[in-house]
Amino acid sequence: MKIAVILGRVLNPAGIVVNRRRGRIFVNREEYVMQPADRCALEAALQIKDGSEAEVIALPRDLLPGDAVGSADVLRRALSMGADRAVNFTGRASDVDDAGMTHVLAAAVERLGGVDLVLTGATTWDTGQSQLGPRLAEVLDWPQVVDAWAVRVIDDRAEVVCQILSSPVRGDRGGGSGYSIFEVDLPAVVTVHPGALKSRYPDGVRLINVYRDDGVVEQWDVAEMVDTGNLVPLLEKRGQDFPPQRERGVQLEGTPQEMAKALAGELKKRIG
Amino acid sequence: MDFMLSPEHQALRRLIRDFAETEVAPVAADLDREHRVPHEIMRKLGQIGLLGVCFPQEYGGMGAGEIGYCILMEELGRVCTSTATNVGAHIGIGAMVIYLDGREEQKQKYLIPLARGEKIAAFGLTEPNAGSDAANVHTRAVREGDSYILDGGKVFITNGGYADVITVMAATDPSLGAHGGITAFIVETDWPGFSVAREEDKMGIHGTSTAELVFEELRVPQENVLGKVGEGFIPFMKSLDMGRLTLGAAGLGGAEAALDWAVRWAKTRKQCGVELAHKQSVQWMIANMATEIEALRSLIYRVGWMVDTGQPFTQLAAMCKLYGSEVASRAIDMALQIHGGLGLSRDFPIERFFRDARIAEIFEGTNEIQRIVIASDIFRQHGVRIRP
Repeated sequence: MKIAVILGRVLNPAGIVVNRRRGRIFVNREEYVMQPADRCALEAALQIKDGSEAEVIALPRDLLPGDAVGSADVLRRALSMGADRAVNFTGRASDVDDAGMTHVLAAAVERLGGVDLVLTGATTWDTGQSQLGPRLAEVLDWPQVVDAWAVRVIDDRAEVVCQILSSPVRGDRGGGSGYSIFEVDLPAVVTVHPGALKSRYPDGVRLINVYRDDGVVEQWDVAEMVDTGNLVPLLEKRGQDFPPQRERGVQLEGTPQEMAKALAGELKKRIG
Repeated sequence: MDFMLSPEHQALRRLIRDFAETEVAPVAADLDREHRVPHEIMRKLGQIGLLGVCFPQEYGGMGAGEIGYCILMEELGRVCTSTATNVGAHIGIGAMVIYLDGREEQKQKYLIPLARGEKIAAFGLTEPNAGSDAANVHTRAVREGDSYILDGGKVFITNGGYADVITVMAATDPSLGAHGGITAFIVETDWPGFSVAREEDKMGIHGTSTAELVFEELRVPQENVLGKVGEGFIPFMKSLDMGRLTLGAAGLGGAEAALDWAVRWAKTRKQCGVELAHKQSVQWMIANMATEIEALRSLIYRVGWMVDTGQPFTQLAAMCKLYGSEVASRAIDMALQIHGGLGLSRDFPIERFFRDARIAEIFEGTNEIQRIVIASDIFRQHGVRIRP
């Protein structure tokens, strides 16, 4: 059993300040963390490994130029948490979006050989995109399940638990009304929901050893895997917009009736 | 000069901060309110390997050195002084003395399970008449065949109420005093003759066990003598040097937390139409806090580097403890002042940190003792021997 897990990085929100009024993001501390959904995908892979002979291989989600604190750090963290191998891509190109990255990852999966399951996060924290998993399944021509809450491997198929999202028209405000279990033949691509699993902590000894070993992350040259000229982005960033500054709240006081009356009056005033 | 932490230490800090914010911070107020020792947190710290952070990997440790240990204490100090104190007593003094002066078989038997967190350590030094006068121990150890019989007691022993292993200093020849008359022993707390007399009811660090221990005809086998007979005082003092550095690191964490709260509050709290951040009186407090924190951080990590590179550090370790505890107290006091009346409320963590910070100026050598250590070392370099 071979599981490839695709992992990306994102700026740690604790190190940034968003000034909505000025439409700017200030990076006080350039510190990256693993994308939360990818972290859950890694945990899903490690849980499968816990109960089997599975080999878990970590791959990067991004091609980053001048990658000083980039995906290699995320890959090292994956190794310290229990992944068996980590592969980073060298000869990096800039402006590669999820569409281009799909081709690089598909080539990597083929080069690894014998991969039964690809796991990755269902969405990203920074861009909010959910394209990578479905696009990769399409290129590999493998079945896919998106937004999983749990993944189990039984023989040559995966059992995937997904949340059923009910229509808000029916008045369900809980974000879901139950879970469905899907079975999918392997090999397959499964994307994992960002809140699906509590991630384990890295093992301390492994962490220290992994960071001390320069050669612990394998390096594969992108140019040897795909024609980099074809990695043309389909997405173009044309600017950024910020929601308006959030207003301060108002604390209502009095009896429940008085507060309800005051709230209704305030709403009437605003709605007009 | 390179003031950057190594990649492994940066990764270690991320791991510890993640752990501290996820596992420790949410329960810190409960530990304080319920006077509860964080056994579950200690177990998890052990599972990850953090209770052996500074010890070599061949002894069950992580191999992250003293700098790694400083990071652990700083990050725990940011969220919960009690948890940092439990960890400090276990690693920094209890297990450290076995690492520094234990024989190979003692390290195999005791240090490995301690480093893995399978067992918890405490450091048995203080007695009613042996506090700052550490050599004045009355606990007696008398040779009987291939054992020593311990009689006496210890007070204010952190982790004492639940430790599995306690390193104990006892007088084997009272007439010789500190040099030749004191021996260190490794004691297992399930041996007959060991008992916990009482737990202290303290002003702060409620999430710790501070116990009075009694030894009544406690038989300790000869192989549990730590170091040489009669020369137990020196290893205990060496352990205290290590502990003092990391106590300073815990103080650094507490001061950093105080600065964070103060800045956050000053940004949002309005008085006379403007946020507190625009008041010069508040700005000065913030500037003073930040400056002292920066100086403390430089001191702590420089001394950590000196330990890891095998340089003498006794005087500087005393400075770490002295300055670290006082910077933490000052920073927390200023953060409380900036919060006004709310700083005294138990709804805010500052009140807990304020109570918890005070002990750092007392335990593991009062700050007066630290000043004596620093001054003695300076005068010794100038040919003057200070007698306390």
